[in-house]
Amino acid sequence: MRRLRPFEYFKPDTLDEALELAREWAGRARLFAGGTDLLVALKRRRSAADALIDLKGVRSLDGVTRTDAGGWRIGALVTLDAVARTADIRMSLAMLRAAALAIGHPQVRTRATVVGNLCNASPSADMAPGLLALDARLRVARCGAARTVPLTEFFVGPFKTILEPDEIVTGIELPPIAAHTAGHYAWTPKITAVDETLVGAAAVVSIADGGYVREARIALGSVGPVPSRARKAEEFLSGRRADRRLFREAAAIAAAETQPRRRAEYRRELTRVLLERSLTEALEAAG
Amino acid sequence: MATMLSVHLVVNGEACARVVPVHRTLADFLRRDLALTGTKVGCDTGDCGACTVLLDGKPVASCIVLAVEADGRTVQTVEGLAGGADLHLLQQAFVECGAIQCGYCTPGMLMAAAGLLNENTTPTDLDIRDALAGNLCRCTGYLRIVEAVRRAARGGGADRSAAVVREDT
Repeated sequence: MRRLRPFEYFKPDTLDEALELAREWAGRARLFAGGTDLLVALKRRRSAADALIDLKGVRSLDGVTRTDAGGWRIGALVTLDAVARTADIRMSLAMLRAAALAIGHPQVRTRATVVGNLCNASPSADMAPGLLALDARLRVARCGAARTVPLTEFFVGPFKTILEPDEIVTGIELPPIAAHTAGHYAWTPKITAVDETLVGAAAVVSIADGGYVREARIALGSVGPVPSRARKAEEFLSGRRADRRLFREAAAIAAAETQPRRRAEYRRELTRVLLERSLTEALEAAG
Repeated sequence: MATMLSVHLVVNGEACARVVPVHRTLADFLRRDLALTGTKVGCDTGDCGACTVLLDGKPVASCIVLAVEADGRTVQTVEGLAGGADLHLLQQAFVECGAIQCGYCTPGMLMAAAGLLNENTTPTDLDIRDALAGNLCRCTGYLRIVEAVRRAARGGGADRSAAVVREDT
């Protein structure tokens, strides 16, 4: 049995209340929604908290909506299960659905949130590569202020983000997807009870007339201290004729850029294979 | 702000109210406060699925849900499956298919399967396996469990020869 140590518990009804609590208890409280990372960390004594601030009462944090520009907003309370079931996401952001389904198992996905996956900031966070490749930005609030952080700047180290102790991520913003653009997320798990991702490769490819790569965005997970974009490979692809050979070369460039800490040689090889697959699938879906 | 809170929830169709420490898990609450020991605790960290219950109809790992998070919600445990009858179709199918050995994973398996059948009455084998992906079994090798869920989805088996498990699962 793993007993939780006692803590104070708050369930604010509004964002303002939540921000006030976050400010008052900064450094001593932990925010949570699904709790699938936090409660496990508390049980394993990898984390400690004098108080828990339950965000599930702040209903304004829920929901997947479209922006006027044709992009998306994914609220902080949106669960992985909701991402998998939302028709709009299935149609236009299938890569995110695939990433959500890569995480945990049904009981976890009922509770766990996309934002929670990002804030936990595991180097292998499955929601990160796809969202990085989609140029996601995070809305971050604190008492009396708000800011927007590009996801590319959000992760600063394993399990460390750019967030201040009194800040709350309120949602994810995605720009509209251009025509002839599609993405794909390919991954392979470690073979353990938790099936954590060993390597994850997301690619979003935009194709111009004649089959040339107008733009490629590539993001890799679990091959470095933080999920990140593979810029050299992206530059290599830009403007070239899209075909299997090109993608193979790009994948090799990306693999060489990785800095896996353990099982490095195997992870580089997996990066090469999975990224080539992602690019190829993305190209096919981009039509 | 609290370290003890009163929770009001509906468990297996019955309203109940208790005062609980905020750090008590739903699994502990069900077992200790409500004496519903059908829900088992295995890994206690949300990986094995033994503690699976339905929260507002969806499967959750009750060992990583706080009791206070169930305030205002409905919970269904294995004790509530049969609903007064002898056995639920799922339970009957598990028995007929030999899907129970030590029985420890069984309540969690049943609840995960019940969650599936509540929203998908014609699951494919892949649907069944996906729905049970969060439930580990050390005894049976899973084939008979999948067979049992398949059988229950079909409305139970008229054919009583549960011994043969199809090779194509």
